Amino acid sequence: MNKLATLKEAVASIPSGSHVSLSGFPITRCAMAFAREVIRQGIGDLTVSQCVGAMDTDLLVGGGAVKRLIYGGGSLDRFGRLACVNRGIENKTLQADEYSSLSVAFRFLAGSLGQPFIPIRSLKGSDLIRQIKEKSAGDVATIADPFTGEEWLVLKPLLPDVSVVQVQVADQEGNSWIVGPRWDNVEQAKAASRTIIIAERVVPTEVIRQNPERTVIPGIFVSHVVAQPFAAHPTSVYREYDYDARAIEDYVKAQETPETFRRYLDEFVFDCDDHWEYLEKFGGLKHLETLRADAVLGY
Amino acid sequence: MELKYTHSELMAVSGARELKDGEIVAVGLGLPVVASFLAKMTHAPDMTILFELGIIDPEPVHCGVGLADPRVWHRAKVMSSFVDILGSILHKGRVDVGFLGGLETDQYGNLNTTLVGDPRGKFRHMVGSGGANDIASAAKRTIIIIRHDARKLKETIAFVTSPGYVEGGESRAKAGLAGGPSRVITDKAIFGFDEETKKMRLLSIHPGSTLEDVLGTMGFAPVVPKEVPFTEPPTEEQLRLIRTSIDPGRMYMG
Repeated sequence: MNKLATLKEAVASIPSGSHVSLSGFPITRCAMAFAREVIRQGIGDLTVSQCVGAMDTDLLVGGGAVKRLIYGGGSLDRFGRLACVNRGIENKTLQADEYSSLSVAFRFLAGSLGQPFIPIRSLKGSDLIRQIKEKSAGDVATIADPFTGEEWLVLKPLLPDVSVVQVQVADQEGNSWIVGPRWDNVEQAKAASRTIIIAERVVPTEVIRQNPERTVIPGIFVSHVVAQPFAAHPTSVYREYDYDARAIEDYVKAQETPETFRRYLDEFVFDCDDHWEYLEKFGGLKHLETLRADAVLGY
Repeated sequence: MELKYTHSELMAVSGARELKDGEIVAVGLGLPVVASFLAKMTHAPDMTILFELGIIDPEPVHCGVGLADPRVWHRAKVMSSFVDILGSILHKGRVDVGFLGGLETDQYGNLNTTLVGDPRGKFRHMVGSGGANDIASAAKRTIIIIRHDARKLKETIAFVTSPGYVEGGESRAKAGLAGGPSRVITDKAIFGFDEETKKMRLLSIHPGSTLEDVLGTMGFAPVVPKEVPFTEPPTEEQLRLIRTSIDPGRMYMG
């Protein structure tokens, strides 16, 4: 089945108030073009989930699209903090349910398997679990192991309405290859009701059939396939392009106050009709070629 | 006393000495990476290094800005997922050592990476857990690397992101957790933990520091044995490896 769509069409399929999981990990394979289009279309009140909070989430929060975040903490690596997320937590405009990497991954895993809950060793004896019980008591519980009687902390599955995954290669049906580490992406795609794939390249299904062991997200989970080169810019996509250090540094400066961030949004989101216009702001192909990954190193 | 090495280099070397050959080690970024690669290049060639996002045994040739930088994944033997690394290896009970840094720790080795207070009594939200809480909960032992400063070694920390010995004594076991911190390595000293009370216990003082200096720059009183030796300084070979091979750009060793 042909599921090719434009980014505008794919994003327009998401109603305000939806639960969206995102594929980014601090500054790599972030759903950046997607986040910019969500803000452009004025979609709001989203719940966002992600194991480690990344730049796609921070941009969405800074763009006012998110009311609740379920994550395991996060950063922009050495470039900086998730300042928009942190500001939202500090001024209480964002409900952030903060876990650890594995506890969010296990919540996606339980969702992907259709399990009612999942036991975990993490979180016990910490302020994380105390805070989760205060904010979202219905998402955690304690039960006795029916076989041994041992007491276990259990977590509720995460079931996003839509998972948005930035990948290197997909076909028009959504069979997708993720090159390099996959962190939580496969579990979140399988836990969600449906997945939107943003692919750097769309290839004929025959290419997929020749290397089917590389397919980590089967097309049956996918509702839309968007072909969009450099869609993770300014974050990296392994074996495709490196992160754009200068563009991330400019973002970090823009995070400083709501006013400076508003100016950033005006320039890089509202002032661009689409992703192509956004890329032109950085000098288009001439600049992007400087980010191309070295074929041996992959970055 | 003039030292032929930096505090960071001694911390990395002290961390490396805690790792044994054949062990499986879960690592965050920064000094723990330097310590782990140093151990692997010297006495522990068969040690396995894990990064939470799905990386096993990388051999970077360039320094990265964090775990999300493909530079630190280079030449890995496995590129997989959180469920693979933190689930099938850590949660399953196969991680021998977790290496953790933090903003603050207390006398029981509880770690805060979530909140810092400012002088006006407001809190700033920071990076949070990532895999740190998982590692502190499920590794057989953890090693904490932190700067020696009264604002970092505190009587009470603002937030327990990753549990150490919780409130001391049996409280960690009562919370349902095995393992626990085995060492705290600072730029002035190395600490272990008292077997019964689980309070931090001074093990050695780095050359160039004094007992008064160590105790005067921390927010709680550790257990101090009658005799406290000096920490063994780095060897020339260890310094050469750090400077020429592991961190030539002095990104971590600043």
